[in-house]
Amino acid sequence: MIFSTTFYDLLGNTILTMIPLLIVALGAMICERSGVTNIALEGIMIMGAFVSVWIISRLEWTWVDGVKVYWANTNGEKSLLLIIGFIIGGIVGMLFSWFHAYAAISMKADQTISATALNLIAPALAFYIARTFIGGRQVFFNTSFMMTRVGFLADIPVIGDIFFSRVNAGLYLGIIILIVAYLFVYKTKEGLRLRACGENPHAADSLGVNIYKVRYRAVLISGFLAGAGGFLFSISTATSFEGTVSGYGFLAIAVLIFGNWKPFRILFAAFFFGLMTTIGAGGNSIDFIRTLGLPSDFYPMVPYIATLIVLSFSSRSSRAPKAAGQIYDQGTR
Amino acid sequence: MKKALLAFALALISVFTLVACSGGNYEIAMITDSGGIDDKSFNQGTWEGIVEYATENGKTYKYYKPREVSDTAYLRAIKLAVRGGAKIVITPGYLFETAIYEAQTLYPEVKFVLIDGEPHTADYATYKTEANTMNILFDEHEVGFYAGYAAVYGGLTNLGFFGGMAVPAVQRFGIGYIAGAYYAADDLGVTITFPAEHYEYLGSFAPTPEAKTKAATWYSGGVQVIFAAAGGAGSSAMAAAVEATGSKYVIGVDKDQSGDSTSVITSALKGVGEAAISALEDFYGNTWEGGRTISLGSVEGGVALPADFSRFGANAAEVKAAYEAIFAEVVAGNIVVPTNDRASLGAFLTNLGVSNQALVDKAEPAPAA
Repeated sequence: MIFSTTFYDLLGNTILTMIPLLIVALGAMICERSGVTNIALEGIMIMGAFVSVWIISRLEWTWVDGVKVYWANTNGEKSLLLIIGFIIGGIVGMLFSWFHAYAAISMKADQTISATALNLIAPALAFYIARTFIGGRQVFFNTSFMMTRVGFLADIPVIGDIFFSRVNAGLYLGIIILIVAYLFVYKTKEGLRLRACGENPHAADSLGVNIYKVRYRAVLISGFLAGAGGFLFSISTATSFEGTVSGYGFLAIAVLIFGNWKPFRILFAAFFFGLMTTIGAGGNSIDFIRTLGLPSDFYPMVPYIATLIVLSFSSRSSRAPKAAGQIYDQGTR
Repeated sequence: MKKALLAFALALISVFTLVACSGGNYEIAMITDSGGIDDKSFNQGTWEGIVEYATENGKTYKYYKPREVSDTAYLRAIKLAVRGGAKIVITPGYLFETAIYEAQTLYPEVKFVLIDGEPHTADYATYKTEANTMNILFDEHEVGFYAGYAAVYGGLTNLGFFGGMAVPAVQRFGIGYIAGAYYAADDLGVTITFPAEHYEYLGSFAPTPEAKTKAATWYSGGVQVIFAAAGGAGSSAMAAAVEATGSKYVIGVDKDQSGDSTSVITSALKGVGEAAISALEDFYGNTWEGGRTISLGSVEGGVALPADFSRFGANAAEVKAAYEAIFAEVVAGNIVVPTNDRASLGAFLTNLGVSNQALVDKAEPAPAA
C-alpha cells in the first residue's frame, strides 16, 4: 500500500456515504432537467428501501434439507443480491413516483405539494405495512454487502485498494449510472428533448415534442434511481431498515443544486458531502486530523461549515433549468 | 369549488377525530414516547409485558401514541386514555416526567406507572409523586458494569461507547460500563484502552451514515467492542462491526439483541416488561402502593446479561463464571457501582488507581457554570 490504512478508510467511508447521494441526485437531475422538481426523493427512498430490504431479507436465506441456510457469502453472490435489491428498490420507487408524476403532470397540481404528500405518507405507510405483515417496524437483514477483495483487480496499487477492496457493488452501479446519465442527457436525441422541456417547453412542444411523455419518463427515472438509492443507503448504513433514510433525500437535492444540475459536478458535490460527513463523524479518530488538536465538538460542525463556505462561493454561478417547477399547460403561451 | 372541497375535507377530519375520541373501555393504557410499540427497546418491552398480563388475566388494554414529543401532546394522550376508560396508565420514558406531574393531580382516580423517571415540574424545581403514581427506575449502571466487565474479561481491551442521547438512563449505562471495564482490568491486571474520544453521545437514536462512519473509524482505529446504548443507531455500529476487518463486536441494549447481528457479543438487559407486569399485579391484586419510586436492580432481577455467552468463543465458560461471581458481589453489596454522576465515577476509578478524567468528563459533562 502506498498510502496509509487511514487514508483508505477515509476514502472507503466517503464512498459508502456518497454513492446513494450520487445516484439519487442524478435521478433528481434528470427530473429537474425535464422541468419537474422532485422533492419527494426522501419519501421515494424510504419506500424503495423498505420493500427491497424486506424482500432481500427473505431472499438471502435458502432451505437445504429443511434447514434455513444463508447463501450470499462470496463477492459474486453478494453482488447478485445487491443488484436484485437495487432493481426491486428501483421498481418500487418508480411506482411510488408515478403518483407525483400523475399529480404534477397530468393533473397539473403544484409540484411541491404532491411531492410533500409523498414525503409525509412514505414513512407512515412503511410502518403500517411493516407492522401488519412483519410484526414490527424494523426489517433486519443478514448480508454484509461489503466485498473483501475483488480477485486480481485488488492487487493493482492504489486503484485496487480504493475501488476493488472493501467496497460494495453499489460503487460500480453508481459509476455506470453516472456515465449513462451523462450520455443520455448530452449525447442523445431524447436528452436534448429532455433539456428543451426543462428550458422552454412551449418551444419544444411547437416542434412536436410530447412534453407530458418526456416529463413522465423523467419523473419515473428519478423515482427508479431514488428507490434504488434508498436501498443502497439502507444496506450501507445499518443492519436493518428502521423506517428512515436520515434526510438523505433532501441532502440529495442539495447535492443536485450544489452540482449545478450537471452530472460530473454532481459527482464532485456528492464526494464533497461524503468526505465532509466522514471527517465530521470520524475526524477525531484520524491521526493527521487529530494532531491539529481541535476541540472534539468542532468535528460534527465540519459538514455544515464547509457546505456554507462552498455554497457561498459557488451559488453565484448556479443555474437551474428555467422551467423547473412550472406546471406545463399547452393553453398558456 | 375549492372552498367546498376544503369544507368537506375539514368535516371529514373532524369526523375521524370524533370517532377516535369516542370513548371505549380499555382499563390498561400505555402511552408511547418518541418510539413506537415496536422500537425493539423499552416501549416494546413495556407493551409486551402489558399484553402478556392482560391476555392472561382477561383485561382490556390499548396503547396511545402522542402526536409529537411535547408535554401538551403527552397530556392530551393521557386525557384520551382516561376518557377511553383507563384505570391504570403506564408511561415508559423519562420524557413523561412533566406530563405525569400534572396528570396525577388532574386524574386522582387513575393510577399512573412512570417507567424510567420521576414526576417533576418543567423547571425541575419541584418533585412530587402522588399516591396514585408509582415510579420505576432501573439500575442501568449495574448492567452497564456487567457489560464492561464481561467484555474486558472476554479479552476485549479496547473499548468504545455509543449513547443515543445524554439522558439519565443512557448515562447510567455508560458510567457503569466504564466502571466495569476498569474493574475487570484491575482484576485481571491488564491495561485497557478507553480514550474519551471513543465515548460519544450521538444526539440521535436513528441509524445514520454518520454513526456508521464513526463506528467504522473507531474499529479500524483499534476499538474491539462498542457498547451501543443508542436504539437504532446500534444497528449502524453492528453494520460497521460486521464489515470491519478482524473480530469486532457490539454490546446490545435493553433487549437481547443477539438475533440482530452476529457481531452482538452480549446485551445489557433491562426488564421493563417484568416491571409493567409487577405494577399491574399490584394494581389488580389490591396491593397498590403508590407515592414512591422503586428501583429495579440486580437484586430484584431488573437488570442482567443474557445467559448465553457463546459469542465469547473459547472464553465463554470463563466469562460466564466471572459474570456470575461479580453479579453475586453486586447483589451482596460488596461492590457499589457508581450511578450517574461524575463524582462517584471519578472516585471509583481513583480507587482502582486509574486516572482518566477526560473520559469521566465525557460520560457526564460538567454542568455549565
